[in-house]
Amino acid sequence: MELTALQQDALVELLNIGFGRAAASLSQLTGHRVLLEVPQVTLQAVDEVGEALARVVQGQVASVHQIFNGPVAGDALLILDESGAAMLKELLTNEPALPLSIDASAREVITEIGNILLNACLGTFGNLLKVQVSFSVPHLNIEHVGAILESLKIQHEGLRYALVVHAGFRLRDTQVTGYMVIVLSVASLDRLIRAVEDWERSQS
Amino acid sequence: MATKVQNADALRSAAAKWFEDLDDRGVFITDDRFIVRRWNHWLAAQTGKPAEDIVGRPLFELFPDIVARGLDASYRDALAGEVRVLSQRFHKYLIPITRSFHGAGLTEMAQSARIEPLRDDRSIIGTITLVEDVTERVISERELRNQISASDQARQMAEEASRLKDEFLATLSHEIRTPLNAVIGWTRILQTQPSVRSRAHALEVIERNAMSQMRLVEDLLDMARIISGKLRLKIDAVSLAEVAQAAIDVVAPGAAAKQIAIDAVFPPALPYVSGDSERLQQVVWNLLSNALKFTDAGGRLRLEVTVDGGNVRLSVRDNGQGIAPDFVPYVFDRFRQADASASRRHGGLGLGLSLVRQIIELHGGTVGVQSGGVKQGSLFWFSLPAVPDLERRPATQPVASDPVTLDGTSILIVDDENDAREMLVAMLENFGATVRAAASADEALDILRSGVFEPDVLVSDVGMADTDGFALIRSIRLLERPKARSLPAIAVTAYANPEDRVRALVAGYQNHIPKPVDANALAAAIVQLVTT
Repeated sequence: MELTALQQDALVELLNIGFGRAAASLSQLTGHRVLLEVPQVTLQAVDEVGEALARVVQGQVASVHQIFNGPVAGDALLILDESGAAMLKELLTNEPALPLSIDASAREVITEIGNILLNACLGTFGNLLKVQVSFSVPHLNIEHVGAILESLKIQHEGLRYALVVHAGFRLRDTQVTGYMVIVLSVASLDRLIRAVEDWERSQS
Repeated sequence: MATKVQNADALRSAAAKWFEDLDDRGVFITDDRFIVRRWNHWLAAQTGKPAEDIVGRPLFELFPDIVARGLDASYRDALAGEVRVLSQRFHKYLIPITRSFHGAGLTEMAQSARIEPLRDDRSIIGTITLVEDVTERVISERELRNQISASDQARQMAEEASRLKDEFLATLSHEIRTPLNAVIGWTRILQTQPSVRSRAHALEVIERNAMSQMRLVEDLLDMARIISGKLRLKIDAVSLAEVAQAAIDVVAPGAAAKQIAIDAVFPPALPYVSGDSERLQQVVWNLLSNALKFTDAGGRLRLEVTVDGGNVRLSVRDNGQGIAPDFVPYVFDRFRQADASASRRHGGLGLGLSLVRQIIELHGGTVGVQSGGVKQGSLFWFSLPAVPDLERRPATQPVASDPVTLDGTSILIVDDENDAREMLVAMLENFGATVRAAASADEALDILRSGVFEPDVLVSDVGMADTDGFALIRSIRLLERPKARSLPAIAVTAYANPEDRVRALVAGYQNHIPKPVDANALAAAIVQLVTT
């Protein structure tokens, strides 16, 4: 399954609305102007996501993981490499970062940022589909990038797809790139894409 | 069926009670209009507001601070189905609980919180909030951060020290080489053009450079002694005026050459200070040469000794180039010079002022410096506690004596280095002595055993290949010939520490003279041994 150029454009536009909402929350929270943009969205079978991510992030990563339920259900993750996570936290809180493994406060900050971003995007999807999406409590994990996706594959049966979204944070002249991965069943993905197409048509 | 319903009700109320009794974190529940419906024990205890005062009232009226900080939006998000985590770092706290936390600078309990929707089967009917006290964590993270920055600072200081040492080594090799160039250059000229007219000048240059190199080495040794705590002071009652005058006499020729006038002002009745007169003279000499170095030709120095309460204070003021304000705190630091270009113009190791401070502090005194800034001149001073008892006279006053002569004295010289041996021979023959030289300990022992030459004094190097000077003197003290066995002996060594002197005396020498050898001092030591 592949996204058409039209679907891809529509998804980027939609995600940018969600990111705009998240950026506004983060700016308010930190007192700094935070910009968030979606430069790129790709659709991949879950099995291939690991490979795709391994090309852009290496080693230990921090991931904020939320499960969402409703007519559209799946897993949503924000993945930052460890230096990106530390830098983001430092930029947002004005405090020098300690290694994440010993800095519980930093882990909490990253969790809150992930929570804001994931909820904003999935909330936008919910609004679009006119359904309510409910969320689990966000969890932060620090582990090897391969391990995260491995656990996603084990949890579910059946073919699943993932939207891989490059998320560019820009604040105080610094750029940090994170990766949002939204894992959906074929049915959920179908529903989402049809809604996106309808929305795109209603826009033009 | 009835029991099942009863069981479910019982479980529900047991769960509610479990939450209410929970005492390690706060839990409260609101309905969909944010009216508080449950308020657990922990919250009641921490806020001092029992459930009966809270339950049934709107959350945002109870805690208007939540609205003021925009956190009511998180509650609205929860009603829309979202989960909100509130990190301590961003929000500090959710429910204000004022208390002082053992001097950690926190006035509110640090909290993390989580706000979640509560659902029945169909829709969201309220919110549940979990509040956690993370004060301890915040304090320990802050301490960790401070420790890390302290160790960073320590590392930076170590790096700075290492950089200064490198710089110092570069300066040191430059400073050691400079006089050597002059010595070697002029020596070559004397060798190739023995009849050159400026022979006297050449010798004068060679001597001056050798002396300056010796001073350099002495400064280094002094610094090494001070660092290792081995500098011993010979304490006596000392007149700073006399010390200062002696130091002025030493620098006077240099000052005259630069046309710099030195004014000396001493009060008529000056109390003594307790100190090592040689070391104090070194201090004053260092202050004066430093002032001379940084004062342009035609300038003026003023040395003044004053009594200031129970202290005697000596100051040296110049109208030279002064000190930049940002360098003032480092003036007395080891290996520091204000800037590379200036230091290269003025030479020196940057040890002089550091020695001044160390020596004065060893005396229990204080040092200081004032400067109006660059080109404003500077004022260096030190102050020492006065000795209340004025009766004692300084003990060590060098007594001018008749020129030394070694006429009729026979001397055996032992040194395995040809140049050093020949120099000693020439030096002592100049004083009129009869000299025989041996190139090894064995050769010296042969001479003494045979009795062909019966010296009055033995002058021996210590560090020799094969048999060293210590072994030599021990063998001599075991010889059969009485005159040889009791032969007065002087050790000459490059090992100039007090410990080396003690070793030489213990081995059986009567005296110990450090290299480079001062001819007069050696001759005087020989005279002393022969006449006593």
